[in-house]
Amino acid sequence: MPAILRSLRSPRVLIALGMILGIACCAVFASSLAPHDPGDQNLLSILTPPAWADGGDPNYPLGTDSLGRCVLSRLIYGARTAMLVALFASLGAMIVGSILAHVSGYFGGAVDWIIGRMVDVWMSFPPVILSLILMVGLGVGLDKVILAIVLVDWTRFCRVLRSEVLIVTRHDYVAAARLLGFTHWQTIVREVLPATLPLLITLISLEMAIAVVVEAILSFVGLGVGADQPAWGQMIADARQYVYQSPWNLLLPILAIFLTVTAFNLLGDGLRRTLDVRLAETGR
Amino acid sequence: MLALQAKDLTIGARIDGTVVPAIRSLSFDLAPGKILGLVGESGAGKTIVGRAIAQLLPSGFSVTSGSLLFEGEDLARMPPARRRALLGRAIAFIPQAPMTALNPVLTIGAQFDEHLARLGEDGRSARRERALAMLAAARLPNAGDLLGQYPHQLSGGMCQRVLIALAFASNPRLVIADEPTTALDVTMHPPILRLIAEMQRQYGTAVIFITHDLRLAAQLCDDVIVMYAGRAVESGPARAVLSTPAHPYTRCLQLANPSMRAERRALYVMPDQMPSLRQLQNMPGCHFAPRCPVIVDECRRGEPASVAIAAGRSAACIRAAATRSIAATQAAAVAADISERSVLQAESLQKRYEIGGGLFSSARSVAAVKHASFSIAENEFVALVGESGSGKSTIAKLLVGLEQLSGGKILLNGEDLTDPSLRSRARRATSLQMVFQDPQSALNPRRRVASIITQAMEAGSRHASWNERLVRTRELLAEVGLSPDFAARLPGQLSGGQRQRINIARALCNIPKVLIADEIVSGLDVSIQAQLLNLLARLRAELGFAMLFISHDLSVVRHLCSRVLVMYRGEIVEQGPIEKVFGDPQHAHTRALLSSVPPDEPEAAWPSLGAAAAAPVPLS
Amino acid sequence: MIATVVKLIVRRLLAAIPILLIVSALLFCVLRLLPVDPAAMSLPPTATIEEVEAKRREMGLDKPLPQQYLIWLSDALHGDFGRSIALRREAGSLVAATLPATIELALCAMVIAAMLGLGGGLLLFHLRGSVFEPVADLVSVLLLSIPEFLWGLILLFVFGVALQLMPFTGEVSPGLPIPHITGFLLLDSLLIGRFDVFLSACQHLILPAVALGLAFSPTIMRVLRSSLFDVYHEDYIEQARLRGLSEGHILLGHALKNAALPTLTLAGVQFGILFSGTLLVELIYSYPGMGNLMVDAVRNADLPLIQAIGLTYCIVVLVINTVVDSLYVVLNPKLRVR
Repeated sequence: MPAILRSLRSPRVLIALGMILGIACCAVFASSLAPHDPGDQNLLSILTPPAWADGGDPNYPLGTDSLGRCVLSRLIYGARTAMLVALFASLGAMIVGSILAHVSGYFGGAVDWIIGRMVDVWMSFPPVILSLILMVGLGVGLDKVILAIVLVDWTRFCRVLRSEVLIVTRHDYVAAARLLGFTHWQTIVREVLPATLPLLITLISLEMAIAVVVEAILSFVGLGVGADQPAWGQMIADARQYVYQSPWNLLLPILAIFLTVTAFNLLGDGLRRTLDVRLAETGR
Repeated sequence: MLALQAKDLTIGARIDGTVVPAIRSLSFDLAPGKILGLVGESGAGKTIVGRAIAQLLPSGFSVTSGSLLFEGEDLARMPPARRRALLGRAIAFIPQAPMTALNPVLTIGAQFDEHLARLGEDGRSARRERALAMLAAARLPNAGDLLGQYPHQLSGGMCQRVLIALAFASNPRLVIADEPTTALDVTMHPPILRLIAEMQRQYGTAVIFITHDLRLAAQLCDDVIVMYAGRAVESGPARAVLSTPAHPYTRCLQLANPSMRAERRALYVMPDQMPSLRQLQNMPGCHFAPRCPVIVDECRRGEPASVAIAAGRSAACIRAAATRSIAATQAAAVAADISERSVLQAESLQKRYEIGGGLFSSARSVAAVKHASFSIAENEFVALVGESGSGKSTIAKLLVGLEQLSGGKILLNGEDLTDPSLRSRARRATSLQMVFQDPQSALNPRRRVASIITQAMEAGSRHASWNERLVRTRELLAEVGLSPDFAARLPGQLSGGQRQRINIARALCNIPKVLIADEIVSGLDVSIQAQLLNLLARLRAELGFAMLFISHDLSVVRHLCSRVLVMYRGEIVEQGPIEKVFGDPQHAHTRALLSSVPPDEPEAAWPSLGAAAAAPVPLS
Repeated sequence: MIATVVKLIVRRLLAAIPILLIVSALLFCVLRLLPVDPAAMSLPPTATIEEVEAKRREMGLDKPLPQQYLIWLSDALHGDFGRSIALRREAGSLVAATLPATIELALCAMVIAAMLGLGGGLLLFHLRGSVFEPVADLVSVLLLSIPEFLWGLILLFVFGVALQLMPFTGEVSPGLPIPHITGFLLLDSLLIGRFDVFLSACQHLILPAVALGLAFSPTIMRVLRSSLFDVYHEDYIEQARLRGLSEGHILLGHALKNAALPTLTLAGVQFGILFSGTLLVELIYSYPGMGNLMVDAVRNADLPLIQAIGLTYCIVVLVINTVVDSLYVVLNPKLRVR
């Protein structure tokens, strides 16, 4: 797709991709990068500050938490949790949301009405509340978090994509394809989908940012991936109680979340600019 | 003192680092109270001149030399504050698209009030009185109610009247009207033009009238300047220039316009198109040379200077004397072999739309098409004319199946098309095709031309091989007059005329029996239009197909088609052979449509324009 | 004109009732399908199986699901939302006690978000074409990347812990009386004339409200900017220039009015999301609102309370969306007049 390749020239996109690559490496090679096992408790040295502060232990480069676990290792493994959730949750939401959006926007009429009403009802649940309630029902765990996010956020994909599908479908070349004898499905796949693909990719990127935040919130509240898997939100919840003794334990996971979310947002924004410029003459 | 005077005005555009002159050495004099027409095709530079007067040139454009004097003051060198003070007061504009030229969230009254307040009119009630007076002068009924309405509640014609009232409210000395009727329905053209002429006479305003329509300019304007590629190629009194043109381009343009009365001949076609700004950089010599029929070697060596050929007339051509020899093609229009057999029959077509309806209100039923019946014979070109909202596009969609019939039948070669079986859908796809109006939206911008033209070969159960498609692509491109290297291009790299050719080629891929062409030449330049009309006639002779040609342009329709259907508000109010219907129209709407077309000859009078002020225009 | 607006709002609220019913039914079903037994939870752990069964019958948990829902619905319409299992109080009264505090927080945050969004959007638009534009744009993307719970934590750390400028726990400083007249603390403290309580309440409100406002203002900024961009490409702006109006007049008198419409719609939707964002901020600042109540209920799997609070959140968001929709119709002449 030439448009996507063109977007690689945008500095925003390149920086964002670089950041994401870095975080993904942490996630994939966590076992080689992390100095300790993230669950290893060393109750003799709890709440030690990072290695550069006084009292720091070079064995634990970023210090330890209230149970003596290495903060750096937990951060690196937390990246794995965050990336897994981001990837699968956004893919899931994308698949469900875009299928319904294309069906809804292309066919219109009663189908559009029904799907539209479904989305309305779904969206009247505030997302945070709904994900909390779903987690109560589903229980804790990585797969449950992914499922909850998919169930909550598919509506966002559906609503935004539907507007785009409506615009594309109004073009005469879609009608022309039908006239030439293509079936509905052939027309959607051949004519509509390539036009909505750029927006789809932008939305996935933004959805990944949202997924990371939701995962952190759920872990913070205690209904996330579970106590045995390291998660940044959980590190924050833990560190909040000891904020006076070791402020770094609070700041570092906050920084990690900020950098990850920024990377995905930058990517989405960069993609949107390069792909939108094709439609409008001015850059925004 | 002259209202507006241009002296060797040159406007440059910054392209790829160099400055290319977009307007070259333009000179003209506009006396107070006179109408000067700027005539040309798109890209000629007429709109740039209008913007130069307002000094609102697009980014990259600037005045590089020469001067543009308004009542003696140079507009280009004026301080911005002084210039802004002139706008809206001494210099006013009438825009091209009236519906979008008014702020949709403010009432007409609010926008008038703002304008009059700026003009110095004190007191809200005094402003309201003045606004009412101006609206009445613009022949708008119920002016009081109108002030409280929003732009979307008005029709296009009414919006334009409001804008004309706004423009003349300040008693301006100069008004620039940029194609003020192009976006309106045809029957609205004469009343709006009449209004502009009346106001101009009343206030003694000088007017610059920008248009692409030669015949219109001949009727309305005192003097005219014909523009080509940024230069004034000819200028002089309107009727003189257009009845005996001196520059070859003017003459060719005249011959490319289909006529309403003359004998039908193949239209004169200028090859290629007007050079773009980029192409002008590498063109020494006359810019019209590549397309000129009376060219000699010297033409390519240097740009011809503007020479006076008669009193008040000048032309930029060294071969001006040879222009007279450019005659219309002697070849008669290819007579169509119209058979007696009818290939398409429509019986009592009906289409109703349900509007509104919901929890608390019931739906209204609007009839877009009421009992339309007609038939098309083999190889016959039938025209469907009407204004916007008449239902002509709906009929097109009903015929091809994009909309469902509410009643009636369509028979293709005797078979009922409304039968929803798969076979009938496939049959429809091969026998009945549509060429869409907007070339921008009709071609998928991501596919290459080769893939677009042979799309029909991928559909359904027939899967043509790669080779077959390649061969067919070349065939189709040749048929529509494009070279084979167009196959690899994307639609974004094509001009409007080229895109329409691809559009036509795609529809012809499986050689349908009937083609539905929905306004396919509207919005194209006259010379491109002529190319396409000749192409359609040639294709019919070679391939043999019938066509329902939908258009609002009566002269085009008269040139191409043998029968006409006139639609008004969903009904076919008159139909028959073209010469008969146009020569002796029976229905009032047909008469209204015919009287909205300016006459072929510049010397002939146009009754619609000169008619004394009639009763106020009914709300439409 | 007022009459038409009111009629419109009422019509839309009535149309929202079916949505509300569906939402409450879905909520009911989701919660009843949990592997959680309310009967067992409301009895001491030593209860026998027969006692649990008896409790189940007493609570009506043996009846079919649709019937249970209808019973709940009829109770709810009478104001009875069940009893909280963990806190052993009426769920309805618990919600009523905490809702005003959340509304107060949300309103203050919305005001902050609106002011920042408006100012920021105009600034971003003003900087278009200048050298500062890429920087400003990048800053807006960065701001967008900080969700409310991170803002809450950052502000708490910087202003509460590190600089020790602001209090960051609870609603008022301990020791001060909490009046209960309307439920809105700021209002009540003024009504009883206790300015010190008012001041303390304000101080405690600042950090949570600013955190929420900061989190939601970037979206408003960006939408305002892109709406203004779109509007400036329209014909009527060019026509206004050709009539000689000054750029300032065009921005304020023409452009802003048109750009306000999509911005308002988005701001309205954002308010709904902001309202649900109060949950996290309340959690971080131990602010006694509905959010804290919800988190406790969720941790305790206290189904009746979860149902009641969840429904309340939905009602508030639906009301907000309805009012915003109606306002949009009122402000947009194309929809208001036929």
